[in-house]
Amino acid sequence: MNCSFASSLSDAKPFLSHVRSHKPQGKPILTAFSCRACEKDQSTNFYKVLSLNSNQASIDEIQKAYRTMGLQHHPDVCHPFKKDESTRMFVQLHAAYKTLSDPVLREEYDCILSSRNFEGKFRADFADHYSRIRWQEQIQELKRRSSYRMEQKERSWGNRMRAKNNEKRDK
Amino acid sequence: MAEPAYTVASDGETTGEEKSSSSFPEIAIGVDIGTSQCSVAVWNGSQVELLKNTRNQKLMRSYVTFKDEIPSGGVSNQLSHEHELFSGAAIFNMKRLVGRVDTDPVVHASKNLPFLVQTLDIGVRPFIAALVNNVWRSTTPEEVLAIFLVELRVMAEVQLKRPIRNVVLSIPVSFSRFQLTRIQRACAMAGLHVLRLMPEPTAVALLYAQQQQQMIHDNMGSGSEKIALIFNMGAGYCDLAVTATAGGVAQIKALAGSATGGEDLLQNMMRHLLPDSENLFLGHGINEIKLMGLLRVATQDAIHKLSSQDNVQIDVDLGNGSRICKVVNREEFEEVNRNIFEKCESLIIQCLHDAKVEVDDLTDVIVVGGCSYIPKIRDLVKHVCKIEVYKGMNPLEAAVCGAALEGAVASGISDPFGSLDLLTIQATPLGIGIRANGNRFVPIIPRNTTMPARKELIFTTVNDNQTEVLIVVYEGETEKAEENHLLGYFKIMGIPPVPKGVPEINVCMDIDASNVLRVLAGVILPGSQQPAVPVMEVRMPTVDDGHGWCAEALHRSYGSTLDLVTVQKKI
Repeated sequence: MNCSFASSLSDAKPFLSHVRSHKPQGKPILTAFSCRACEKDQSTNFYKVLSLNSNQASIDEIQKAYRTMGLQHHPDVCHPFKKDESTRMFVQLHAAYKTLSDPVLREEYDCILSSRNFEGKFRADFADHYSRIRWQEQIQELKRRSSYRMEQKERSWGNRMRAKNNEKRDK
Repeated sequence: MAEPAYTVASDGETTGEEKSSSSFPEIAIGVDIGTSQCSVAVWNGSQVELLKNTRNQKLMRSYVTFKDEIPSGGVSNQLSHEHELFSGAAIFNMKRLVGRVDTDPVVHASKNLPFLVQTLDIGVRPFIAALVNNVWRSTTPEEVLAIFLVELRVMAEVQLKRPIRNVVLSIPVSFSRFQLTRIQRACAMAGLHVLRLMPEPTAVALLYAQQQQQMIHDNMGSGSEKIALIFNMGAGYCDLAVTATAGGVAQIKALAGSATGGEDLLQNMMRHLLPDSENLFLGHGINEIKLMGLLRVATQDAIHKLSSQDNVQIDVDLGNGSRICKVVNREEFEEVNRNIFEKCESLIIQCLHDAKVEVDDLTDVIVVGGCSYIPKIRDLVKHVCKIEVYKGMNPLEAAVCGAALEGAVASGISDPFGSLDLLTIQATPLGIGIRANGNRFVPIIPRNTTMPARKELIFTTVNDNQTEVLIVVYEGETEKAEENHLLGYFKIMGIPPVPKGVPEINVCMDIDASNVLRVLAGVILPGSQQPAVPVMEVRMPTVDDGHGWCAEALHRSYGSTLDLVTVQKKI
């Protein structure tokens, strides 16, 4: 269930730009922001929004990019003629910054991004897709843990033997 | 000086939406109207310069005297003696009263000022009047502010030799949007166009950002991010901000503020010296006003002296045989005002918490405003933040300098040396939301959200076949709806009769770059692709003076018939 209003800042298109009906299964739709200004460009890459070349950018680089881009695109520093455009631009810039500067959100976003790249196109209900990725991740994590536990067990054999030897010595 | 009389330019509230499109940009001036002092600064092409009045003062007293036909303010007027302020004809402290209704505790605390502030406690604007030739001449905070805004404008026009229209004003963090409209109204009355209203500590943050940039240019500072706490306490308000600064950009992480200031310190002290003072002055006769004035001047003087000395002798003759003769020491002053200092401390802790900043993360702590000279204030800031106070700023000029910088930046001025490559990324000082879930305040845009911002929330009806809903917009932090600032209300009508909980009522709030708030509300029925009724878009605030009783009256008339509840997101 999601509906979005056209930004009053933008042009004179109908207010309720599009309305999705209830999903029968009640699947969550990932819409961190539904300002249509952003939604229009939902397929844009947050790293590109911040003019970052690499997905491996450090938090300092992200912060620096946010400030540099802010100095160019914040409505306060842009010409009043470009107010609507710059407002849209900055809202998007901030959304990108907010996601990428938060380690948890960034990880989720990177995940979505890689799936997008993998398929070569952006899936409409990426929430569904994303949950599958998360599920796969969880499976992988479980596998990793179980193999770690196995290692622990193997190692503990040596421990056990050493412990036995110590016991013997103590006696 | 020319044109002392003021004209009302427009009844509508002007905003920073349109700027002059001439090729030669007009630099907006920065104005700081303090509770006790006001000042003007402007970017002169290479740096910020404070303008002086004909008496060579950079800081002028914020008051207006209604002695003659034409009222005159502290910018042009010369006081023969401090006591002239207390003849009943001089009105001051209007920044504390602007946009407040007579149920507000801040208005009640203003009743012992040496002019008339009367309350009826019904949620209308208080009755404020000056005593002129034994007649009470009523006035409003907006009128008083407009009078010295005109004087400030004339002063700036004479010095800059050009007409002044655009201003950037610094305002307290705790001002509601309704109070902002009153400030814009005062500016409109003075023929000024508000380009920006800047919370005071954010103006200081911008000045700090510029100073840090300057240090990099001079190869003295590093380019890394600096987190600073700004503590600004003047006569009327205590305002705080946490800012993250780098590359000339001041990113406001959190704001906090309260109508707590030097005026409260003064009143606590007056009560301490003369416990029955409030009752003694109730009559507001000419003698009582004079006594209030005498006590006020003596107390103020003592507080100033206690900033530099350990004790002070107070000697006031109140006439009719009563006389206050007392030595007050600094500990006594600090004890009398313990609640104020505790409030300051809790504001610092709250602001750091909201900004998700630990004390160890702070690079600098900046203490400005008139109260920054009080040793206890500096000590408590140092105690909480565990670092020394930043030294690079004039405590009384920082806010107006920051406002002037913003004036230059927002006017589109660029500097060849890059001194104006600056930006403040503002945050909302108060949460904005609507009344729902019974009588609860449900924030839609929370406090400290980066602006411009846009957020929405979905609500539904509480009654079967409910065809109308009432959207009541509030601003504040309190859970009970009516304890917040009412901004406006409107109805959505013509909802098709369906069981309760079925219609999806989407309420969206939008704050644009000029800090204009719009509320959009639409109704969708399940399965439909189209809104059930046309979407309402309303610019806030819509309320006018005397709105205090509105919420209560709405509640009495409609009960819960037009109520809303929030919809839990299905996951």
